Order: sequence, then C-alpha cells, then structure tokens
Amino acid sequence: MPAIKKVMLQNFKKFESLTLEFDAGVNVLIGDNETGKSSVLLGLDLALSASRSHVETIGYESLLAQSAVKAFQHGPRTLDQLPELVVEVFLEEGDDQGYYGTQNLAGAMTDGIGMKIAPLIEEFGATIHQLLQDDPEGFPYEYYGVKFYTFSGGPHVSYRRPVKHLLLDSSRIDSEYAAREYTRTVFSFNAEPPERYSLENRYRRGKEAFRDKELAALNADLGAYQFGVRTSIRANLETDLVITKDGIPIENRGKGEQCFIKTEFALRRHEAKGELHALLLEEPENHLSHTRMKLLVEQLAATAGTQLFIATHSSHICSRLDLRHALLLGSDQQAGRLKALTEPTASFFMKAPDNNVLEFALSKKVILVEGDAEFILIEELYKKHSNGRTPQADQVHIISIGGTSFKRYLELGMLLGIRVAAIRDNDGDYQQHCVENYKESLYKGAQIFADKDDARSTFEIGLYQDNKAACDELFAAGRKKLTVQEYMLKNKADAAFELLRKKSAALVPPQYIKDAIAWINE
Amino acid sequence: MDKRVIFAVAGSGKTTHLISKLSLEKRALIITYTENNYSHLRNSIIKKFGTLPSNITVMTYFAFLHGFCFRPFMQNEMNTRGLNFRRPPQRNYALNDRERYRDRGGRLYHNRLAKLIEVEGLLPGIKARIERFYDTVYVDEVQDFAGHDFNLLLQISAANTEMLFVGDFYQHTFDTSRDGSVNSTLHDDITKYEKRFAKAKIKVDKETLSKSWRCGTTVCDFISTHLQIKIDSHKGRVSQIIKVDSQEFADRLHADHGIVKLFQEQHYKYGCYSQNWGASKGQDHYEDVCVVMGSKAWKQYLEGKLHESVAQTRNKLYVAFSRARGGVYIAPDKLFKAYKT
Repeated sequence: MPAIKKVMLQNFKKFESLTLEFDAGVNVLIGDNETGKSSVLLGLDLALSASRSHVETIGYESLLAQSAVKAFQHGPRTLDQLPELVVEVFLEEGDDQGYYGTQNLAGAMTDGIGMKIAPLIEEFGATIHQLLQDDPEGFPYEYYGVKFYTFSGGPHVSYRRPVKHLLLDSSRIDSEYAAREYTRTVFSFNAEPPERYSLENRYRRGKEAFRDKELAALNADLGAYQFGVRTSIRANLETDLVITKDGIPIENRGKGEQCFIKTEFALRRHEAKGELHALLLEEPENHLSHTRMKLLVEQLAATAGTQLFIATHSSHICSRLDLRHALLLGSDQQAGRLKALTEPTASFFMKAPDNNVLEFALSKKVILVEGDAEFILIEELYKKHSNGRTPQADQVHIISIGGTSFKRYLELGMLLGIRVAAIRDNDGDYQQHCVENYKESLYKGAQIFADKDDARSTFEIGLYQDNKAACDELFAAGRKKLTVQEYMLKNKADAAFELLRKKSAALVPPQYIKDAIAWINE
Repeated sequence: MDKRVIFAVAGSGKTTHLISKLSLEKRALIITYTENNYSHLRNSIIKKFGTLPSNITVMTYFAFLHGFCFRPFMQNEMNTRGLNFRRPPQRNYALNDRERYRDRGGRLYHNRLAKLIEVEGLLPGIKARIERFYDTVYVDEVQDFAGHDFNLLLQISAANTEMLFVGDFYQHTFDTSRDGSVNSTLHDDITKYEKRFAKAKIKVDKETLSKSWRCGTTVCDFISTHLQIKIDSHKGRVSQIIKVDSQEFADRLHADHGIVKLFQEQHYKYGCYSQNWGASKGQDHYEDVCVVMGSKAWKQYLEGKLHESVAQTRNKLYVAFSRARGGVYIAPDKLFKAYKT
C-alpha cells in the first residue's frame, strides 16, 4: 500500500507554509475552527486527484493564500514576486522511477506528487506586467495556471494515480458532485477494469437495443428525423449508477445515514485488487447520532489496509482512535503531534468515559478541577478574583475531569505546552498527595493547587470553614441528624449549586483557589 | 556485474536476443534511439508477456536523457520546458554557463544535455538512480550513440548494475546528436571504437551475434567481399546476386511489386515499391531486394572497390544489401532515370 508520509503546503488556503507528517494507519486532525483541518484534506484531495477542472471549479482565488496576495500587493508588485501555491504529497518509496526525484519543496530524493498553481509568466508575462501597472488594486488570478507533477519532474495525470483515495465530506455529502465522485470511485475499486469495461459496454449496447427494438415502431413513421437514446459521456453507466441499500438509493436517505453508509461501504474490504488506499473523512460526526458515531468509530478503528485521514471536533472520535494518532493544528500554523504520549496514557483516554480531552488539547490555559462542586463554583470565583473578567475572556478553560486522572492530563499538557492549574483536595495528606505524587508529572507551566492544611482535606471543608456564616444560613435550617458540614459533604453538587444561586456575592474562596486563579494568568 | 557490448551483424537477431534476456523477476530498463525501434521492442515485449510487465521499462534515448537523468534532479532549478531539437546558435558560452545549454524559451538543446548533466555533477545521482530501480540496463542500437551522448553512456555504465549494449558498428547511419568536434571521429575506425568500450571496462563480444539468420551465404559473402564488412550466415543458404544490365530488365524490376527497390535517397520519386538504403534499417520482411546505385558507387562496384566509398555510404549500402532474405539485384540508377519525377 503506497502510504502518504507527509504533506507540504505553501500559500495554500490559510497556510503560508505547513508540513505535516502522517502515520501509515490512522491520522486524526484536530484543531479549533479555522485552523485549516479541512484545508489539509482538500489539499490532499486536489493533489492526488490531479483534476484540473476540479481545481478550476473551486477557483484560484479561493485557493491561493490571501496573506500571500496581500503581501504581494504591499510589495513592489513585480512579476517575480507573484506568489505560487504548492501542495506536495510525499509517498512511501516504491518501484516506479517516475515518482522518484528531488523536484519537491524539501529537495529530498523520494517519491511523491505535487500540484502547483503559478502565474503563466512565460506565456503572458508582458500582459501581466501591463496589468499590474495599470491597475494598482488588481491581482492577475486570470493568468494563473495549475500543473500536476511528480517528484521526478514529469507530469502527473489523473488516470495514473499512485494513491487511490476518496474524500467524504459530510457537510457536502448530498451535493451532486460529491455523490457522483463517490459512486464512481467506489465502483472503480469494486469492479476490476476488465469487468468495468465489459459492464459499461453492455450498458451502452443495452441502450442501443432499446432504441432499435422499443423505439422502432415510433421511429418508423418519422422519416429522416428519429428518436435515439443518449449514449454520451454524460449518460453512461458511471453517471447512471446509484448505490442502494434495501432497494432505496442512499441519496434519498438522511445525511447522517448517508455519511455512515458511505464510510462503511468504502471501507469494506474486497478481495479485488483495486482497493482504497486512503480515505479522507471530513467531520464524520456531523449529522450522526451518538450511537451511530460510536458504531462508526468502531468501524474506523478496525480498518486495516486503508490509510485514514479524519478531521474532527469530536473528543470521542479523537480519543477512541488513540490520541497518539492525533495531529493538532494550531492557529499559528503550527502542528503538534501526540505521538510521544505514553501507551498507558493513550489507552487511558481510549478507555475512560467520554471526556473533554479535545477541549483540553485545544486550550492554551486550563484550570483542571476534580469534581462537580468545584466546576459549578469556579467560574463565579474566577470572576471575583480577576476584576470581573470571565474565564472565556481570558481564554481560560475550566475542565472537570472527575476522579484524579490529573497525571494523564498533565502528560498531555506537557507535550502540548499547555498552562495547567490543577486544583485538587489534599485528602488528609498534602505532602504525600499533592507534592510527592506529582514530582514526575509537573513541568514549567503546570502547578498543583491544594490546601496545605491537612485538616482541610476536601473542597467542602475548606469552603465551609471560610464561609461559615453563609453556609449555616443556607443549610442549617431543617438539619436534624447531620451537621451543616456533613450535609455539604454528602450533597456536594447540590450544596454548591445553592451557594452559587443564593450567596455568590458573599462567597470567599479558599486561599489555594485564589492562588490558582492568579497564577493561571501570570 | 557483467558489463558487455555485443557487436552484432545484420539479421543476427539482436532484438530476439535482447527480449530472450527479459524475465518477470528482474527489473529491466531498455533504451533505444529511434522511435521505430522503440515500438518494435515494445511490441516484442507484449508478444512475449502478453502485456508490458511493470518490471520492464522501455524508453527512447531522449526520454531517458531528459526524463530519467535530468528532470528528477534539475527541473525546478532550471525551470526548463523540454528539449530543443535544433542546433544551438553559433555563440560561445563557457562550458559551465547554463546559457550554453538552453534556448531563450527555456528548452534544452538536445545535443548538449548530456554534457550539461556531466557539468552539473549529476552523474553520481544518476548512477544511484539506476541502481535503485533496475537490475539490468539494456541499450539497443548502441552504434547510434555519438557526441556527448556516447560519453554519458560510458560514464553511467559504471553504475553497479548489469549492462548489456547491443549494436552493429556498420549499421551506424544516424547519430543521437553531435556537438562540434566531440567524438566526431568515433565511428571512423572500429578498432578504436571497440577500445573505448574496453577502456570503460565493458567486455566486447563479437561472437554471440556474428551470424545472420536473415542473409544467406551468398549475400554474406558478397558483403564481406565488396564492402569488406565481416558477416557470416547461419543457414548456408545459396541465392543469387544479379547485376541488372539492360533497360528491359530494369523495367521489369520496376514493375515487380514483390521486389523492393532501395535507393540512396528520395526513393519516393521513382514511383515504385521502394525505400531508402538507410531508412530500410530494421526492416525484416523483404525477400529479394534491388539495390539501386548512383554512378559513382556503380563504378566502384564494377571495379571491386565498393569498400572504398565514404563510411556513411558504405554503411548504408551494408544496411541495404543485408535486408535480403533471398537474392540481390544490383542496378545503376541511370536505368531508373526515366521513372524519376
């Protein structure tokens, strides 16, 4: 299987320059909105397809990085400064010399293919020059052209693709182009070429037979002008084929169902040779119910022989497919890998209940809390101690991780350089639980915040002691067996919620929480 | 690593020999000069395997030179746009000046590309590339390599793979390219020519393909005597060499569509089944042939001095005579003058 090893983008969409290395198996692209996850998939799709018409339909204007265009317009605006767009796909080395060479951005001697959108200086140099002079605002998109090449400097043509791939974009899953492209691709790797051509041939002949038999009577009286049946390239077997499930064309099913069926059908293994080398999935969680998504993830995880590229916002997809496969796209055109995550931590996130690992990974500053009570109150406490600003305004994320899996998150945080304030209980032994315990896990930018007084072993005890009056006022009434403290410990979330509702103005947080809030924004 | 050049005689089965060496196991690169021979080799491979196996690559020389040796290393750096098959203008550029090698439109002069490759220091990379992808390199029509191309061939032959070159020194009628005086006397003397290969550590083999399957003993003897080019026959078949000495005889031949008339040039002007001497190279389907000679050659023939004609003429005559499976008619072109338009 010719695996995709790397992609290099230059002036493509929002990327002035980006290099991403891929695994031969699963690759999960994660990132905030607008970090370019879809662009990476689009770049792969365009370069691998080598379809000029597809590129032209999208348009050079929307593909060429606007930052590069701006930079050009602010510069001397000479021909040699016109930006070029490059997408290069590096492949695992094979036996075909036609893909092997140094004609790539890295100058590396290896296998690969590329796409370049560049101004046609040789052909239209004088015209472009004139245009740039006459119109100080204009940019000569019309004089750009696209070229597909291999790393040996030869042309790359669509009928000889080294990697058979398919892009499933759930947001455009019901567009006509996507549907046709899907059917065509799936047909081509389900039917071997001889079978395919024989089917196409028989289909065409069938149409001719219909004309000769069924239309004959009608045509008999018509003289020179006759009715025929279209057999052009727009009306052949490939264009007329649809995929059905239980007799119903999948186009007529809901978007979620379509997305699911299409992925499942594409991944199904066939004995036939012409299999699918790479599947590009754009936000497969869209339109899918939670149950469906779990099924899909199971499918994806069990996939062998097809390289997967999945762009997703879903923590579930991301962590269940092993975080070590994740590629994190940042807003600063940087990409991080979670490859270095230890095996136990990766399996922890795969096994742990649905979690906020993606939110954590995508944040710059995080306050981790242990339980629901802290989570309920911390936003209010935060505002109080940061001059009324909300955590969102400071780009601080508050994540409740339930239980004490701090170390797992800290490992991830270290890898991604996230500033983490972890707030936990001392459980009766500050030195042991909150200092010794994290000796190995802490890094510059991560700190544990807990009460140093072993007697104040949990959040509720500290909170009660610091806000005795308010708590007594709220909870003392009606207490028969339990003390107020005991009540708060037994009903942590409810008590916290009551405090938030009725006493938020008077609430004094324990010192370690104040410290954490101050520290996170240092 | 066996490196060998086989000097073959006409009709001795060069292509057959080459094709017999191919298998589905070894990765083979086959380079030939003319488009004609390229399709011939390609068809022969398809005949043998039913298809073009993925481990066997056939390239014309210029596809190899440009697509395999130059492009993978230099395409982007020099931003070139293919080859220019015209002669470069008479301007003096230094050897290391890139302008020497390309025209204003960014096309590379075909006859200097091999030199550019050497000057740019690409040879080690090309050798590594050959080793990376092929177990054996075959070069057919090796006698056509001339100018810088011949030097390049010897240089890359040092790659650590098997090399088998096949050619017929006397069938040298075209050059891959020429550039000034580079290798301009290469084909003047077969002994010196052989030495060039030997010096590059390529074994010279004159035995394997020294006998013609196509030509019978009579024709081989005729060629050996009159052109002084050594050629033996496998078959020992006897045929006839007939001198055409009357207009009536020539008229009969002109009208006979079973006998091809081979002219030195412009054969199409004679309005009969015909071909030029040189262009008949590679043709294997003629039975009897009629070789038509100009007055000078005719005179030399009559005096038994045909071997004294200039090398190019002698080679072309050799090609023409050796087309014959059967007999040869030899005629002076004055008997065909009446038909010339």
